[in-house]
Amino acid sequence: MATFDLTINGEKKQVDVDPKTPLLWVLRDHLNLVGTKYGCGIAACGACTVHIDGTAMRSCVFPISEVGDNTVTTIEGLSEKGDHPVQKAWLQHDVPQCGYCQAGQIMSASALLKDNPNPDDKAIDTAMNGNICRCGTYTRIKAAIKTAAKNS
Amino acid sequence: MKNIDSNTHVRGESIYVDDIPPRQGTLYACVFDSKVAHGHIEALDVSKAEAHPDVVKVVTYKDIPGINEIGGIIKDEPLLAEKEVHFQGMPIAMVLATSEHSAHEAVKRIEATIKAHHPIVDPREAHAKGELIIPSRTFRLGDSENAWDECAYIVEGSAESAGQEHLYLETQGAYAYPTENGSIRISSSTQGPTQVQRTVGAVLGLPMHKIEVDVTRLGGGFGGKEDQASAWATFVALGVYLTGKPVKYILDRMEDMRMTGKRNPYVSDFKIGLSNDYKIIAYQAEYFQNAGAAADLSPAIMERTLFHSTNSYFVPNVTVQAHSCRTNIPPNTAFRGFGGPQAMFVIEAAITKAAEEIGVPASVIQKANLLKEKDKFPYGQPAGGNEAVDSWVRAEEKYDIKALRAEIDAFNQSNQLYKKGLAFMPICFGISFTKTDMNQARALIHIYSDGSIGISTGAVEMGQGVNTKMVQVAAHYLGVDPSRIKIETTNTTRVANTSPSAASATADLNGKATGIACNALVKRLTGAARKKLGLSEQAVITIKDEFIHVDGQQTELGWEALVQFAFLERIALTENGHYATPTIHFDKEKEKGHPFAYHVYGTAITCVTVDCVRGRYEFDYVKIAHDFGSSMNKIVDLGQTEGGLVQGIGWMTMEELMYNKEGRLLTNALSTYKIPDIYAVPKEIEVDFLESDKENMAIFKSKAVGEPPLMYGIGAYFAIRDAVKAFNPQAEPPFSAPFTPEKVLMGLYDGKANNVESVPVGAVKAKG
Repeated sequence: MATFDLTINGEKKQVDVDPKTPLLWVLRDHLNLVGTKYGCGIAACGACTVHIDGTAMRSCVFPISEVGDNTVTTIEGLSEKGDHPVQKAWLQHDVPQCGYCQAGQIMSASALLKDNPNPDDKAIDTAMNGNICRCGTYTRIKAAIKTAAKNS
Repeated sequence: MKNIDSNTHVRGESIYVDDIPPRQGTLYACVFDSKVAHGHIEALDVSKAEAHPDVVKVVTYKDIPGINEIGGIIKDEPLLAEKEVHFQGMPIAMVLATSEHSAHEAVKRIEATIKAHHPIVDPREAHAKGELIIPSRTFRLGDSENAWDECAYIVEGSAESAGQEHLYLETQGAYAYPTENGSIRISSSTQGPTQVQRTVGAVLGLPMHKIEVDVTRLGGGFGGKEDQASAWATFVALGVYLTGKPVKYILDRMEDMRMTGKRNPYVSDFKIGLSNDYKIIAYQAEYFQNAGAAADLSPAIMERTLFHSTNSYFVPNVTVQAHSCRTNIPPNTAFRGFGGPQAMFVIEAAITKAAEEIGVPASVIQKANLLKEKDKFPYGQPAGGNEAVDSWVRAEEKYDIKALRAEIDAFNQSNQLYKKGLAFMPICFGISFTKTDMNQARALIHIYSDGSIGISTGAVEMGQGVNTKMVQVAAHYLGVDPSRIKIETTNTTRVANTSPSAASATADLNGKATGIACNALVKRLTGAARKKLGLSEQAVITIKDEFIHVDGQQTELGWEALVQFAFLERIALTENGHYATPTIHFDKEKEKGHPFAYHVYGTAITCVTVDCVRGRYEFDYVKIAHDFGSSMNKIVDLGQTEGGLVQGIGWMTMEELMYNKEGRLLTNALSTYKIPDIYAVPKEIEVDFLESDKENMAIFKSKAVGEPPLMYGIGAYFAIRDAVKAFNPQAEPPFSAPFTPEKVLMGLYDGKANNVESVPVGAVKAKG
């Protein structure tokens, strides 16, 4: 066990966990931030995507000991009132079906738009191909990202 | 109307089972499962696991107070193995520990000595050895044996389709805790709360009223949580029973993939005979369904295979026989389409093979044999009011098939190393549970004294938008704004004896029950309004837009005032609605009847571009004319259509489920089992709503949409085949789905292996 000081969604948090613990389980089990989901445990589905220092990362394989001073943003902290342009576009296009992968999708999409405010289809595919959706909402994900880009 | 769950979904606030805050003292379960596919347990040593400091108990079959049995249709599946194991992944023991990590650690300390027997993984081998789940069944129409003489063309062959992992992003799981007087409350990720309740009751030896099952929502089901959620809920309930503590078990991905069943793989033989003008005179098929080690839902899936053996076609002479073959892989189960897609792949393969031998496009044969108004299905139900021809013609006209074909021909003439292929895929899918007694549902509606409304039904929300549709139904009948209505969790104490959310029928069954309950409430409320407003018996009173209307004119009496008045008048503001689908019946002795409330039709045109050097492919478009009836929610229904299509394309192209001959699942993680990602989606999906005012038995005449679109994905296989043939007309790739790039590559160079070296690699970039 070791103590880690974290900045998560703009708040200072302290946890006492095994240094190998993936960030996902620190978020879910220790900080009750359950919007970030477990899907595969091997960074192959994207359901656990969060921002670490603004970059989309898979929290299920990211050890807590590697977070350091970097800020962590989860779906709960993406916007104050759920009104990030990506969230608004997601609502406009009614993207989610079962919803389980969508926090990860939104975190990947918002990181993409931060780096590339006007992504073309290829850039969208490249940024989003690590986020799988078994309901198959990809067509709407693409459309919503384009809408969010326009409205950002 | 927009999906009512979208707001919480995009904020990460939607609650799934694993998001429920754990209660103090919660124990975590983990199952020890068989590493042998078929064998005899000679010794089981759990002592080292018990010695783990965090382990509270190790549970074996000996601890089960009721019956060690979880089979739904047939009692052939123990919860925990006793002496025999029948598949790799079969649960043998369960560890209960104070942390999830410790439970997993302790499981590794359990040692089982299992004497291995020969495992069967091939359904044909199981059939040859008489290993059948149920007696084989045969559907007949006309006399196919004596019809071959009439045929100008007769073609025979085989087709096989692999299984499909559900890969719901939320893995299986459940969380249970004890309540008073020996009762247990379970939060389960299940499509079938009543099935969980019944199974837990039987295993624990408790009456169903002591078991409460609650479902908020599922992170995907697709059939995988229809029957197969029951085991995990039963494990945690058993843990609660034995320890008195709350118990939770959320499977990790590899446990889920290893221990749970999938879509049934099929191998099938077919024989098809056609006249000179391409009419199908006779069709025979024999289906070998790989059921896995226990019945699960396979007998019902096999039945639906027979129902859908002729897809959207009329064939006067049909003999189709199905065998449910017992093998040593995990018991296979429901998956969107439920045996229908497997049957439809076979007849499409038969038609395509016939077309290739005759030398006409498959679409010529397909179109010539579509169901007409006076036709009947092989099981006796009339096909009246069908949209088979309409949807085909609409697709041809709306999407200008001549132009599409010209474009493809031009491309193929000017490109050597990329070829395009096109396929039509008509679909016909029967709506209703084929087990007639399951076609019933109930809805419980409370109108609270402040005018707000709470609705409970048997429907489980798993992304199909059923809760949104229930709000629409109630708002329509009650004449109120949707914002007044809350859909409660699905809970066995509020709505009992539910059928699972499956068979695409959930919105129909529960929507009709909701409508019935609403009508009873409206009758009482308008009676109260008559009294309040002092109106005669002749006055026609309705509730619309939140106000009471008399003879079509709005009054000043609003919804809230009326509800308060009715409450003070001591009028019941709660109603239970019950619906049972009328008309349907089926006689299993004769294999004839009218099993479906209605059918859903449609036609898809799929175009693919194949990279003839690498065997890779991408889908240019899928253009669909789909029979929605009269869609009550185009946003939801379009989402289901696109999503079903993508899942079907996955099954037909990239989702390659593999077991080795020892019965071990080789594709046991997301690193080895690939499902469609954003790259795999067709570049263009176009869906035309074939709106129809024709009467049907769907809720608001809005036809069921959950499963049918998956079968458009079958067109992906045949489009790829068309492109392969454009490159290599001699190619005869086996009808074996999924058509992975490896198999495509084999097909491209089938019979011309010597030419491979002569491919000018430098020309690869000449696409376009």
